[in-house]
Amino acid sequence: MTSGLRKAHKYIWLLIVIGIPILIVFSIMFLDVFSSKNISSLEIKATKSNVIKVAENDLIKASLIKMDSTNSIEVILKSPLKNPSSLVYGLIKNDEKGVLIGQLTTVGIYNFELKKPIKGIVVYDGLKEKLISKIEF
Amino acid sequence: MGLDYQLVLWNKHKKTYDKIIVFSMLLYVILFAVITLIFNSETSIETLVIRAFGSLAIIMLHIVLAIGPLSRLNTRFLPILFNRRHLGVSMFIAALIHGGFSIFQFHALGNVNPVYSIFTSNMDYDSLTNFPFQVLGFLALLILFAMASTSHDFFLANLSAKTWKRLHMMVYMAYALIIAHVFLGAFQQETSAFTIGILVVGFITISSLHLITAFKERKTDNMKAKEKEGWLKVCEIEEIEEDRAKIFIIKNERVAIFKYEGKLSAIHNVCKHQGGPLGEGKIIDGCVTCPWHGYQYLPHSGQSPPPFTEKVATYELKLDGKMVYINPNAFKEGTEVKPTPIVS
Repeated sequence: MTSGLRKAHKYIWLLIVIGIPILIVFSIMFLDVFSSKNISSLEIKATKSNVIKVAENDLIKASLIKMDSTNSIEVILKSPLKNPSSLVYGLIKNDEKGVLIGQLTTVGIYNFELKKPIKGIVVYDGLKEKLISKIEF
Repeated sequence: MGLDYQLVLWNKHKKTYDKIIVFSMLLYVILFAVITLIFNSETSIETLVIRAFGSLAIIMLHIVLAIGPLSRLNTRFLPILFNRRHLGVSMFIAALIHGGFSIFQFHALGNVNPVYSIFTSNMDYDSLTNFPFQVLGFLALLILFAMASTSHDFFLANLSAKTWKRLHMMVYMAYALIIAHVFLGAFQQETSAFTIGILVVGFITISSLHLITAFKERKTDNMKAKEKEGWLKVCEIEEIEEDRAKIFIIKNERVAIFKYEGKLSAIHNVCKHQGGPLGEGKIIDGCVTCPWHGYQYLPHSGQSPPPFTEKVATYELKLDGKMVYINPNAFKEGTEVKPTPIVS
């Protein structure tokens, strides 16, 4: 290699060695990496207090929770979704998807605030425009 | 070294290396499948393929990236360097299977363009933790495609060595993207301490090898020869082995002084093919032979023997007793310089 190429290699690797760990540390700084290990176990339970209604299928478990002034919904995603964009809609009437309340990504417990009362939820792939799951209370 | 372009320039050794590569890849995928099915029998076939080929590609990329510095640190690795191109293309094939299956599985079954879906399915571009890691993998795959599709002497000759080298140095950017892709993917999808641990070990190993080599090379670059009346005093004749060379830094560039058949000749150390260190090669059949890919040059003229046309710069030498001196001003590439006879 020429001296220029040798220098370029050295500086590229210095940049990688410094840059990648910094990026990784910042990306996981606020992430509790190992907390979700037992998510798929039977121990997962929605907040028991103030639960008004519960509905469940193979993919999700949804619990309507009554708060002091507002309502919220706790959604437990039991197994990974294969869909790239999984949006959660609240069913208001008989429509397929009502009001958008949030998005699901990985397996875990999600809490969404509800501005209106809902009678169920729909998990919908916004990109493929396809219904993933639907449950009603 | 061949005059005509062939799709794949195979010889007996390369065929052996390629068989080892294919066998190892198949063995890895089979072992991965068996172990996965034993410990997680519910894994779908698509997930199995995606993970098997993804992990295979990243292991192969680490091996590809280790070969360069290992060859600089120990010449016993040079035969592997000779076959690195085939390993790199094989690695791309593994990455392509991983990427292809992932795109099909997660982005191609709807009514939206799969590429559009990759870039828009997760829009958390302002978050480091939830950054769309699939985009990083896709960009890395594009770089690897550009590299694999130009991994041929036809492109090396037609793009020019400088452009080709710059293009192929993008492997480092691909490596950084892949590391981020796997880290973020592992954190966002499965939080596997094992995956992350293996990747950390790989990253530390590869980056250490490259940095150790870089600093070793800098030490060589910092060696200064003493000047005497416009000539640089470099070494004594005995310091150069027969049919081998010793490398010196002349005006910030490396020059190789070869001793052969009772003569001395000096040429620029950088091979025109892929920048290999000619001074680490030896004289075979009267020609300086690059240790990387076997390109050859005549020691007294820096020209490849006909019908080849590669040329490197030459230098003038003189002897004062047993001491070798070099004129630091290089001659034009391919200029014939009368070899300096060694008078015993």
